[in-house]
Amino acid sequence: MAAITLKNVTKTWGHVSAVSDINLDVPDGEFLVLLGPSGCGKSTLLRMLAGLETVSNGEIHLDDRRVDGLPPSARDMAFVFQSYALYPHMTVRRNITFPLIMRRHRWWFHIPIVGHLAKRAIERSPEVKDLVDRTAKVLALTEMLDRHPRTLSGGQRQRVALGRAMVRQPEVFLMDEPLSNLDAKLRTSMRAEITKLHREVGGTFVYVTHDQVEAMTMGTMIALMRKGVVQQFGRPRDIYTNPANTYVARFIGTPPMNLIKARIEEGQLKVGEAAFALPAHLSGISDEGRAEVLLGLRPESLTISPVGGAGTLAGEVGLVEHIGAESLVSVKLAHAETAHEEEEQEQSGVMATTPGYSELKVGDRIAVGVNLSDAVFFSTRTGERLTAKVPQLETVR
Amino acid sequence: MRSTFNWGHGLRLLAIVSLLAAAAFPIYWMLVTSLTPSADLFADTPHMLPDFSRIEVFEEVFREIPVATWLANSAIVATGTMVLSIALAILPAYTLSRFRFRGKGALGFTLFVTQMLPEAMLVVPLYAIFGQLALLDTLTGLILANTAFTVPVITWILKGAIDGVPIDVEEAARIDGCSRIDIVLSVVIPLVAPTLAAAGVIAFFHGWNEYVFAQTLVSSQSLQTASVGLAGFVGELSTPVHSVMAVGLIYTLPAVALYLVAQRYVVAGMTAGSVKG
Amino acid sequence: MTESAPRNGRLEGSRWTPYIYIAPISLYLLLFQGYPLIQELMLSFTSTSLLSPQDSEYVGIRNYQDLIDASDFHATIVVTVVYTIACVVLSIGLGLAAALLLDRPFLGRGVARAAVTIPWAAPSVAVALIFTWMFNAQYGIFNHALRALGFASGHENWLDHPALALPAILLTTVWQIFPFASVVLLAALQGVSSELREAAVIDGADRLSVFKAVVWPTIQPSVALLSLFITIWSLRRFDLIWLMTQGGPIGATNTLVIELYRQGFVYRELGFAAAVGMIGLTIALVVTLVYFHISARAERAGGRR
Repeated sequence: MAAITLKNVTKTWGHVSAVSDINLDVPDGEFLVLLGPSGCGKSTLLRMLAGLETVSNGEIHLDDRRVDGLPPSARDMAFVFQSYALYPHMTVRRNITFPLIMRRHRWWFHIPIVGHLAKRAIERSPEVKDLVDRTAKVLALTEMLDRHPRTLSGGQRQRVALGRAMVRQPEVFLMDEPLSNLDAKLRTSMRAEITKLHREVGGTFVYVTHDQVEAMTMGTMIALMRKGVVQQFGRPRDIYTNPANTYVARFIGTPPMNLIKARIEEGQLKVGEAAFALPAHLSGISDEGRAEVLLGLRPESLTISPVGGAGTLAGEVGLVEHIGAESLVSVKLAHAETAHEEEEQEQSGVMATTPGYSELKVGDRIAVGVNLSDAVFFSTRTGERLTAKVPQLETVR
Repeated sequence: MRSTFNWGHGLRLLAIVSLLAAAAFPIYWMLVTSLTPSADLFADTPHMLPDFSRIEVFEEVFREIPVATWLANSAIVATGTMVLSIALAILPAYTLSRFRFRGKGALGFTLFVTQMLPEAMLVVPLYAIFGQLALLDTLTGLILANTAFTVPVITWILKGAIDGVPIDVEEAARIDGCSRIDIVLSVVIPLVAPTLAAAGVIAFFHGWNEYVFAQTLVSSQSLQTASVGLAGFVGELSTPVHSVMAVGLIYTLPAVALYLVAQRYVVAGMTAGSVKG
Repeated sequence: MTESAPRNGRLEGSRWTPYIYIAPISLYLLLFQGYPLIQELMLSFTSTSLLSPQDSEYVGIRNYQDLIDASDFHATIVVTVVYTIACVVLSIGLGLAAALLLDRPFLGRGVARAAVTIPWAAPSVAVALIFTWMFNAQYGIFNHALRALGFASGHENWLDHPALALPAILLTTVWQIFPFASVVLLAALQGVSSELREAAVIDGADRLSVFKAVVWPTIQPSVALLSLFITIWSLRRFDLIWLMTQGGPIGATNTLVIELYRQGFVYRELGFAAAVGMIGLTIALVVTLVYFHISARAERAGGRR
């Protein structure tokens, strides 16, 4: 059992704080993804968990044990590096066995020949050899045990790094962007392998990535970070449907959530000239009367039709991208404005997905239908979410 | 089609050949001289080719001149210098590469300044110090004195190599349960082994070649090194020139051979160390 | 890795760890370099003689004053400067030529690269021995060669001739150290961008222009560093000169280190010798500081690379 608890964990370099006041409770057996852009502090947080970085303030607990003062090897956590960090001078077998050797290491192992023999004896002892052989089999590395890392492909090296972590049979696996050095195809298959590994070996996983697809597909929980602060911590589905703020809304999902400027007037939602009835789950804030809000809509909630009508927004096709099974249509709205983080996007552009191969052309005048059943509202001022579509089933925080 | 001789190419080839000839000639001449009978050495026209029928000269010199003792002493000094230099240099090289600490710049500067001190300048105070430590007229004393001059260079060279070891690998070792010393001994050292070999060769050379200390800090005949023994022959004509050259060659060849064997690493180490300053 | 946080010292440990690690080397250098250097500095202000070390007395800067006043010493400085500059220019020039020749691929390049570095591996004493023989007035190969080429006066006693001794020493020195220059410059030439070189060729540059515009800027920092190293080594080179000429004839090859040794071990004036040593060290330090000043300024100016 290994539940991870972070209490007010903070890291500062001089006056700069890389990670500020993080509180997380990760139950045993979860697959937590620390997600965020470069420099958001996710790697620093992971390294603090591992003990590679000291904690400036706060506490880290593994079950009932406080571990933030312990050296890395005493924390019962394995770490998989982005660069794999394999020992280039050792064979694959020795790389995988190394943590087990270190467990029984004595100072006299440094004496040249004696130490060499002692290490070899450990490597060949039945229980160590069995474990290493079994691990290698799981990872399909059996054929490569006697080779050196430089003769392996990227994916194979990745699996050796995983093997080195697995043989320790740790309570916690820590992984720092382990797939980012692989090509796209290999990444997809390794994603599945790591998920399978999590299911089979158990243990708590903490996985750092900047790739929201990895986060959504692999994580059982996601902590989305920005500038050293956790923006939202929850189940992937919850984060997708109920982003805590506009930042999360735009970070998760490809293409990201559309944020359209809207008003709530007299129990109605007004976008530009169009007016919509407020669905039940959004009616909570109508008491404020005239209120400016940001309407968050996933691209799949928008439908495109050739003719306008009530409950549609007029617009013009800006760009069509054909992915295959569906098409992404970027639409310039005629009477509504949108809010975007990045200024290069058009102030009135929204993205919609349509199934199949869209025959639309740039410049076509169309109408955008809006399905409000999955919509969310954000405060124009703070960007925080104002409503929840469904009551949160699990409050993990 | 008229085939034209490529002048640029030919000139370049000529230049390369002359360069190699110039570089190798003195060593070649040592060989030729050692294999030429005394009488012919003083003839009007020089012998340009070695006469291998006189190869027994190299045996004779071992009987007539205490070459074996000299070489043994030089080997002891060189090996000692090599071992001690590397033992002393590894931790500071690692520290300079991996740590930030107050005084780092001062240490780096000190290591550089040692390169400016001539042995001839320090030999007088060292003589006094060695007198007090009972190290005068010992090979140990020579090893200690030589190491003081090699260890800064070796530290720089090793630092350059350790800079190239990814820190991730060290951190992985730390997670796997290595202490800092374990990391240095079982991860860093194997990874910089080629440079370590180069550093060893450089230190060995220094000990093998060194003259000033060997001349002044040691007085016993039995402890003379080859450099001192050979220096006694320079410009002196009472010992047959061919014997002197034979001894010179015997003294030179191990150094050159060792260098050629380790050449790749020595060059890499030398340039890494020097380019990084 | 997303953080650009300081990577040094991340494997935390005690604050004292680095100091513990550098303690042995520090103590060692203090004992065998620092302490003797301070002794030597103090000695330079005394009239200590090797014959009666007990009778030494403090004489202030008199040793330095005497040196500055002595015209012999001026000659020593001139010889040292000429020797050093010539070593730097000739070794780097020849080294660069060799590096450029050996840079482009040809059959046997590996062997040639190794062979050309042999002189660097030869011990100085052996070099002195063979070159002394080669410079021999009657039987030396140089004079043989001169006579064969028709120079009637091919009987010069090179090492005993006031005008020829320094060139002879220089020839020997350059033969020994140019391989080092060529090795370093060969490594530096690997850093020359072939794309940039091709771009220059496409722009219509001839060979010399390509060298000046592409090659030289890349290797220039290495050339500067080499100059510094060769300067420092030339200022302290002893074995070769001492064994071949003892600084003679009439001071023609008398560099500072030779003068230092002569004062100390021939005239037995340890105080005087120490003062000579200190002046030599000062010159080396000044050259080094100038080098670091210039290279720091070049780096601030955007770096030449």
